[in-house]
Amino acid sequence: MSTLEQYALLLGLTVGIVGFVLSLYALARAVGKTRKEAGKDVPASSGQLSRDPVWVRYHARYYGYALLFLAFDMEMAYMYPWAVVYKEVGLVALLDMGVFLAILFLGLLYGWSQGALRRQ
Amino acid sequence: MTTVLLLMLLAVGAYLVAVIEDWVYRGHVQLSAPLIAGIALLGRESVVPRKPDRIFFETGPVLLLISAVLAATVIPLTPGLIVTDLATGALFFNAALVYVLVALLMAGWGPDGAYAMIGGWRFLGQLIAYAMLIVMPITAVAMRAESLLTMQIVASQSDIWNILYQPVGFVLFFVAAMALAFLPPFDLPTAKGELAGGVEAEYTGARLAIFRLGRLALVITLAAATVTFYLGGWHGPWLPTWAWIAIKILAVTSIMLLAGRYVPRIRESDLLGWCWKLGIPLALLNIFLVGVLALVFP
Repeated sequence: MSTLEQYALLLGLTVGIVGFVLSLYALARAVGKTRKEAGKDVPASSGQLSRDPVWVRYHARYYGYALLFLAFDMEMAYMYPWAVVYKEVGLVALLDMGVFLAILFLGLLYGWSQGALRRQ
Repeated sequence: MTTVLLLMLLAVGAYLVAVIEDWVYRGHVQLSAPLIAGIALLGRESVVPRKPDRIFFETGPVLLLISAVLAATVIPLTPGLIVTDLATGALFFNAALVYVLVALLMAGWGPDGAYAMIGGWRFLGQLIAYAMLIVMPITAVAMRAESLLTMQIVASQSDIWNILYQPVGFVLFFVAAMALAFLPPFDLPTAKGELAGGVEAEYTGARLAIFRLGRLALVITLAAATVTFYLGGWHGPWLPTWAWIAIKILAVTSIMLLAGRYVPRIRESDLLGWCWKLGIPLALLNIFLVGVLALVFP
């Protein structure tokens, strides 16, 4: 199979799963409809509507980690091609990536020392 | 043809995961239990909360299932049995599984319920904890195989399995995989008894059935990935290839589920702390060790 055909297959699988789910929903619907009753559609909160709205801004208490995560996630984009050619290039590759990772790791240590690695 | 076979195997695998889960948590094996539970879920009412974000609410469970199945397509089961032999297989596996986060966030946001919302946001924090521990060990695996082709990765382990070659990577990947599949003790987004089911709380009937199916497929996919990346795939003496892969996948699944039974649920801040203060330095050390090993014994 060519690469294009493989991606077409993946797309087909996605559509197929959606179709499967829809037919399952249709089957469930055919067994019986949902009866409309008062209070049934209240979200799980001890049977009462919650006092405050739910869709508000939350304090992401892990934002220190999240910022570091961005740096590390970017770095992974370089790591994959590097890993594939690693054995071919040899020691130079190890030193190159070693310096890069050492700088990044120092960043992690610095963040840690400044209290980035805790729930704020 | 392979696609149909893979889908059937995934269905069987998901069913077995449900049976094993039952065995682990309730202590008895009942082969028909998941079937009965599934039919019962289809027969129940599927209630929609009063002011949902309808698109997110409907997409969440479906996306979870899609993400698990797409990730499974790059996993080779026996030498010829792989659906899409992508040149970027190991990377595609990661890319597909990132949508687990999107699915859970949608399922958390969609129903406009407080517990679901907290579950969804918690999983975002959980992703920040486990994501690096999925990708970094896979990098070390790719270094040894000199390829991102999953077939090549299995072939590279024909003499020594990666669990012996890079044991640190295996442990990290195993734990991170459990966190990805939100299995106990990492079941923060669902958290039975604390969040009333979390992201599952507002789903009933057929939608809940799809959500659970997606989760089961995710667990079996991750077990298969662990076998592919670390336990030598289909390699093994005496028995035929299909027997080896089946035994290994079921063993990994059982250990993943059993481990959760004996450990209390971890706090989110603790999970983040452990992953970043211990996990990531270890993952970097693992990459370095594999690098040195690959140079010394080419």
